[in-house]
Amino acid sequence: MTAGAPARLAAHTVAAVLSGRSGPGGPFDPAELARLDEAEEFPAAACAELDAAGLPDWYVPARFGGALAELPDVMAVMRATARRDLTVAIAHGKTFLGSVSVWVAGSADQAAALASAVRSGGIVSWGLTERDHGSDLMAGAVTATRHGDGWVLDGAKWLINNATRADLMCVLARTEPGGGPRGFSVFLADLRDPRPGTVRRTPKLRTHGIRGADISGVEFTGAAAVLVGDEGAGIEITLKALQLTRTTCTVLSLGAGDHAVAIAAEFLRERVLGRRRLSDVPRMRRVLGEAATGVLLAEAAAVVAARSAHTLPDELSVTSALVKAFVPTAVEQSIEQLAELMGTRGFLTADYRHGEFAKLERDHRIVGLFDGSTLVNRASLITQFPRLARRNALDVTTTVCLAEPLPTLDTARLVLVSRTGNAIVSGLSSALAELPAEFADLADALLRESGAVHAELARHRPVARAVPTAAFRLAERYELLFAAAAAVHVWVANPASRWERGCWLRACLTLALTRLGVPVDGADDAYEDVAAAVLAHGAVSLLDGGRA
Amino acid sequence: MTGAARVADLERRLGDPFDPANPLSFAEILAADERGEMFAAGERALDEFGLGAEFVPSADGGRLTRLDHLVELMRSVYRRDPCLGLGYGASSLIAGVNVWTAGGSAQRGRVADLLLSGRKVACAFHELAHGNDMAGADFAATPDGDHLVLRGRKEVITNVQRADAVVVFARTGDRPGSRSHSLVLLDKAELPGDALSYLPRFRTVGMRGVQLGGLVVDGARIGRDAVLGAEGGALETAMRALQITRTTLVAMSTGLLDTGLRVTLRHTANRTLYGRRAVDIPHLRSVLTGAFADLLTAEAFATVATRALHVLPGQTSVYAPAVKYGVAKLVLDAVHQLSVVMGARFYLRDGAHGIFQKLVRDVKPVGFGHIGRPVCQSTILPQLPALARRAWLSGDGAPAVLFDLGADLPPLSFDALALSAGGRDPLASSLLAAAEGADPQVRALAGPFAARLRDLAARCAGLAPRDLAMTAPNRSYDLVEAYVTVLTATACLQLWRHNRTDAFLGDPAWLSAALTRLSRQPGGPVPLLPEPVEARLFDELSQRLADNRGFGIANRPFATGTTKEKSA
Amino acid sequence: MTADISTPTVESIGAWLTERVAEYVDAPKESIASDVPFGEYGLDSVAAFTVCTDIEDHLGLVLEPTVLWDHPTIDALSAFLVGELNTAR
Repeated sequence: MTAGAPARLAAHTVAAVLSGRSGPGGPFDPAELARLDEAEEFPAAACAELDAAGLPDWYVPARFGGALAELPDVMAVMRATARRDLTVAIAHGKTFLGSVSVWVAGSADQAAALASAVRSGGIVSWGLTERDHGSDLMAGAVTATRHGDGWVLDGAKWLINNATRADLMCVLARTEPGGGPRGFSVFLADLRDPRPGTVRRTPKLRTHGIRGADISGVEFTGAAAVLVGDEGAGIEITLKALQLTRTTCTVLSLGAGDHAVAIAAEFLRERVLGRRRLSDVPRMRRVLGEAATGVLLAEAAAVVAARSAHTLPDELSVTSALVKAFVPTAVEQSIEQLAELMGTRGFLTADYRHGEFAKLERDHRIVGLFDGSTLVNRASLITQFPRLARRNALDVTTTVCLAEPLPTLDTARLVLVSRTGNAIVSGLSSALAELPAEFADLADALLRESGAVHAELARHRPVARAVPTAAFRLAERYELLFAAAAAVHVWVANPASRWERGCWLRACLTLALTRLGVPVDGADDAYEDVAAAVLAHGAVSLLDGGRA
Repeated sequence: MTGAARVADLERRLGDPFDPANPLSFAEILAADERGEMFAAGERALDEFGLGAEFVPSADGGRLTRLDHLVELMRSVYRRDPCLGLGYGASSLIAGVNVWTAGGSAQRGRVADLLLSGRKVACAFHELAHGNDMAGADFAATPDGDHLVLRGRKEVITNVQRADAVVVFARTGDRPGSRSHSLVLLDKAELPGDALSYLPRFRTVGMRGVQLGGLVVDGARIGRDAVLGAEGGALETAMRALQITRTTLVAMSTGLLDTGLRVTLRHTANRTLYGRRAVDIPHLRSVLTGAFADLLTAEAFATVATRALHVLPGQTSVYAPAVKYGVAKLVLDAVHQLSVVMGARFYLRDGAHGIFQKLVRDVKPVGFGHIGRPVCQSTILPQLPALARRAWLSGDGAPAVLFDLGADLPPLSFDALALSAGGRDPLASSLLAAAEGADPQVRALAGPFAARLRDLAARCAGLAPRDLAMTAPNRSYDLVEAYVTVLTATACLQLWRHNRTDAFLGDPAWLSAALTRLSRQPGGPVPLLPEPVEARLFDELSQRLADNRGFGIANRPFATGTTKEKSA
Repeated sequence: MTADISTPTVESIGAWLTERVAEYVDAPKESIASDVPFGEYGLDSVAAFTVCTDIEDHLGLVLEPTVLWDHPTIDALSAFLVGELNTAR
């Protein structure tokens, strides 16, 4: 059995469970999910179904007794849910995101206790943001003060996923009045049976998408909490935890992308205009093919990033920021392109497929916002430009061979700044050299772009204040380079991924180059190949022989 | 009152939507949207203003003389509540233009009376099974002596239930093709109460308040004189009349973008991130300035195309789908970019900026409503070879009145709207001379578009019929995209050239921004603006925000008052 | 003009750091005081990582990225760096 197989099995099990429970009246019935969305009710039955299917086991690392051996495992099961309904995936998956700080920095006893709580269905939330500070962690005003042997929390966390439903919450709180990078610590607060008057949940916020999710807040007034990791290490722990969660939550985008592509493909196959099926109209196929390629390119980036958490953890500060900025943005673009194909049917909320398309479009916009927005992640990349300017010669074989077992995820090796830059992008030229001659034009163009981007990185003068717009542009270009490099590596290292003669690579590189501003000949043909595969199979993937 | 005075009057009546004390505030608009209702207080205010009269030509007793004034007026509605824009206004306008184009005097009189007395007229073209394919419509009005027997259903129709009359696109002949449909004016007063039944409301993710319904008729009879114009003439009438609405509806939608930009500016000015105001972060400032440039670009093209309906009605069969295609994309993309700047605040339906997420939902139909962008492309495509061969490199100029915003427009002539531009394209063909005659700085910016037009001319002149059909290869559609970009750039260039005395429009800064952003490769990154250009535009944007002026071409004052004055 | 760091002392490193910080925060180097925390000049915790990278490259040291968090003034950081350099030799 190859590594990752249990997770694929689990993902298939989850998919099968969801599929079996999506009939009329079932918890995953699209009509019911649409009703809950409009009524802004939590999808409790669907989440209970996921508990029963054993999903929480995948949120707990194997060393603490759970099923999570490799990060791509938990991503595969979350993607299976996200493909059905993003609100449910986000509502349920939050427990994983909320627990990561403890997996990174908690004591053995804390981790064991949390593992047992999670595996028995406990809901864990993550209290980072506060009103008016948003993603600016160091502006946080919730305080923790010593009280006897322990600590108490005061202040309000706001815009928190599952704040009201949570049994436990990881909280970033100020432990030095002056704040600063050593002025914050991480705490675990048990919200189930607090001292009266110490924990007040604040009302659910009404949101654009994931309307049924519990996006609310909590107000602490002397609430008891235990310290996780060292006092003063809160920012560091949180930034390391975010490296893992930013990498992981890209699958929420992939699931939404799969869902959107599948709906659009079915629509084009069914729809007849005049005497023609829309799926026979070249323009429609082109849009479908390009949009599906966007999801594939995002998938290449996300999959390689997830594996690199195991193999190149000391680069994850770069890699996680890259994919968290790139993947939701690319999938948003794909969904918008597909929305144009769908027209009125992408706008109706009940009369066509219970408004699934319009719902996933709204739901998906949250992915670009949480755990650090696209802009925050680009800003984080920009601070690491000097290191990205240099290329390293690290071996990426295990990272990109999808069937290779991964080394254990060593959270102790996570660092706040990648000293080596990024090995995936650094290895682009050697991977390109492995491509057959038919790719020569694209490979040459990519090499030129890579040279230009690295030259610009080398010229970049870091400034703390007023980061110029051009630096954000350069970050975007580097993201595209990373995604293209990931695609090339995966294609070269995994003959099994080359369905339909491996046509997806030409499409992915065409898309990356186009977005880098390099016109590519033959784009229509490249996207057409992907469109044909999508129309034949529904959504496509680089994994599992092509079936998403 | 003049057009400009009526625009000011409507602004004053509707008041400042940001002011919570205003009964027509964004908070109230949002509350109605949450309930899925039309904004009742807004509808009353528009009733009092008599908005329906704006859709009726002066010859029929209304106030419609100039479409550019109508657009500016409706931007005041769209910037507050796009549901009111569509659900109160635009749907009656769509029905109306068909009547003014093809109706007899009795039909015109009846529809004018309805609109002048604040009633609604619906336009029932759409059937879900056929989408934008009007010629596929199945709803039948079968001639039977002096009567028509109606049978079929129409779906996703704005106001169909509350309208007093409905313009129906109906099949009157069995043969496939372009002469088998007629427009029928269904006057509900002339039908027994049980003749029509209605489908449940269609619920939508945006425009939640708009009353989208459906109509089912099974054998009701109406007089054959209900046909608008000639029997079998529906497709032709619609293709001519809807040039007006395809142009003006998307032109109105820039009001929505104005609000999106205004909300984002207010948010970033008040928000502190990492120790500084968000609006001072250069990247965010670039996005805001880019959205301003796109708003100006969109309005420049929309303004020229709207004026063309008066000046060049024979050519708007090309400009109408082009403006819909190009302007819709500019508006959609700009709203998206702003939503990224709004960050988490964009995702919240409550609070001071809760209106923003409504705009993100309401803007969607700009792309597919009334006519979809892909259909616009296939509408333009067949005309390209003739335009390429006869017009683009001909050196023919365009009349100055098309661009000179101070010049009076000739009266609107519904009869002059044509099905084909006949190989004439004064806007595009004015580019080469305008680009070459400009000063070196502008020439450098405009030159690439002139080159693109020459390249297009070479590529389009020889297109074969199979390259022009709906099933044409994708590269044909890329040509349409390039053509629309050239038209947009030309409109900006000419608007600048012909309004040099205007302190802002005559400044090359906005033109430079517009042309720089339009120069992007399809699918590629939008080029950054030169630093002095960005600084000049951002100053302008900040000043207009401070002065509470519109961000569009008209640069007009917005309402500051908190009270809504009742009309006497 | 670049400060001389060929013989690392608290003074020479401090002078060099002052130039770096001044450049990052876009302020004249005269305005950067050696005993004021970096944060006061707008050099936030994440930007500090970039400065750290710069220091590593110039001094040939390997440092924790959080070195500016733990030594948040030019004086404190210079003293720390001199110690590191002496250990490394």
